[in-house]
Amino acid sequence: MIAHVAWRLSRRAAVNLWRAPLPSLVSVLTISLSLFIGASFVLGLFAARALLTSWGAQAGVTLYLDKQTDDDKARLLAQQIRLQNPEVEVVYVDRAMALKRLRGDLGDMAGALDGLAQNPLPPSLEITPRVTLPPSGVRILAAQLGTVAGVSEVDYGREWLDKLEALARGLRVFGAGALFTVLGAALLVVANTIRLAVYARRDEIEIMKLVGATDGYVRAPFLMEGALQGLLGAAIALGAVVAVQKWLLPRASQAFAFAAGISAPNLAPEHWGALLGAGAVVGLFGSWLAVARFLKT
Amino acid sequence: MIQLFHVKKSYPGDAPVLDDITLRVEKGEFVWLTGPSGAGKSTLLKLLFCAESPTSGQILVGGRNIGRITQGAVPYLRRNIGVVFQDFKLLDNRTVVENVGYALEVLGASDSEIRERSLKRLEQVGLKHKAASLPRRLSGGEQQRVAIARALVNEPTILLADEPTGNLDPSLTDSILQLLFDANARGTTVIVATHDRTLLSRYRRRTVALEKGKLVFDA
Ligand SMILES: Nc1ncnc2c1ncn2[C@@H]1O[C@H](COP(=O)(O)OP(=O)(O)OP(=O)(O)O)[C@@H](O)[C@H]1O
Ligand SMILES: [Mg+2]
Repeated sequence: MIAHVAWRLSRRAAVNLWRAPLPSLVSVLTISLSLFIGASFVLGLFAARALLTSWGAQAGVTLYLDKQTDDDKARLLAQQIRLQNPEVEVVYVDRAMALKRLRGDLGDMAGALDGLAQNPLPPSLEITPRVTLPPSGVRILAAQLGTVAGVSEVDYGREWLDKLEALARGLRVFGAGALFTVLGAALLVVANTIRLAVYARRDEIEIMKLVGATDGYVRAPFLMEGALQGLLGAAIALGAVVAVQKWLLPRASQAFAFAAGISAPNLAPEHWGALLGAGAVVGLFGSWLAVARFLKT
Repeated sequence: MIQLFHVKKSYPGDAPVLDDITLRVEKGEFVWLTGPSGAGKSTLLKLLFCAESPTSGQILVGGRNIGRITQGAVPYLRRNIGVVFQDFKLLDNRTVVENVGYALEVLGASDSEIRERSLKRLEQVGLKHKAASLPRRLSGGEQQRVAIARALVNEPTILLADEPTGNLDPSLTDSILQLLFDANARGTTVIVATHDRTLLSRYRRRTVALEKGKLVFDA
């Protein structure tokens, strides 16, 4: 009995969609637009986060060694760090090299260094992570290396990282809040659109109830329609997102230099699933809200 | 079967539509409910199938106090009550046979059973040939007969008919009333609201009269 009732209800949902395609179409388009905005927003956040992380990676860690440290000892230390942290690259910069670099950096004013009796610069080890580390990762690395014997000072652009971290945190909070708002608004719009479609069928709901249909039985076809509309809407939104990524962004980055760094992460299959799932849920929940009002009486 | 105790129904701001109605209808009875237009006949029937709830007083249907039943129990109560609505309440986007079958559908009957029983009822009201039509293509009297077929299709224990012959010519009226009497003979408790006094004299049955919401006659 359950099976043939389920079959009948889905048939009814299909027939209803077929008989009144226009209200359904409006619901589908509303859902797809909402999801498209939501998905673009999430992808934008992903892209911004990736950008922040890549900036963070550019901040390497410099370990200044005691001035008396000789070359052998420094090389030994570098080797030791390499062994302990296989994921970083270590370059030894001896005192002469450091001075040469400074001269290079000073350019015309390098003559000022000639007056110095001896080289004032300490030898150093330059540590570069091989993988992209988030700001917090760089911080941890620096703290850990600072305790190594023979290291007198650690420099890792602390302030720069602090700012970056605050920015990332802000982005996360703002993103979560804004996403919540976007999804909430989408749900309301969808529920209202579906409510209009349901309103046209309030007589049907009334009569179903008068002949003894349970609320669940009345609701079921509407929920199925809602889920189906949600899936369709999500599919359209997905198509639009893919089109923007594969077609619009590459052209935009050719046309505008500032867009060059913007490469939205590609949609993985689980993102597809999440988007379709979100569509179905929005459609279902929207229908539920829409029908609830007419079931009350 | 059906009992009302001091039932009162009023809408805010108006004089009561029903005032202190106490009434008892036995199982298997046939009752005319009569009175002038606006007397409260439809309202009384609506109370019985929970389309309205009384302002005060108690109503028992089949031994259940329907003032106390939960929202979830209402559908199951309605499945035992066939109702012919004064305004028919047919679905415009369903065919005649689908409309009749609706009352069976919500019970979970199989497609073939629904079709068979619906067609049988339509045949009884003389509309089998219109089974595939849409209600709006039917005359008022034909729509009324579809409504009657729907109310009877699941053999309800109670049948409430609100002006079921309002749109019918005399010969059709007789044959439709015969359907209600037949259902009554099979054991269904029947209450028919009508303001057509000629029916009452032609078919003498217990008659309950309302006037301005008060019960003025019962015999
Ligand atoms: N929802 C409502 N709100 C306010 N007043 C109502 C409502 N429903 C019915 N009434 C009033 O209740 C009174 C009785 O109405 P009801 O439909 O029961 O009369 P009736 O006896 O069935 O009349 P008729 O023979 O014309 O069908 C009327 O005066 C009507 O205006
Ligand atoms: Mg009436």
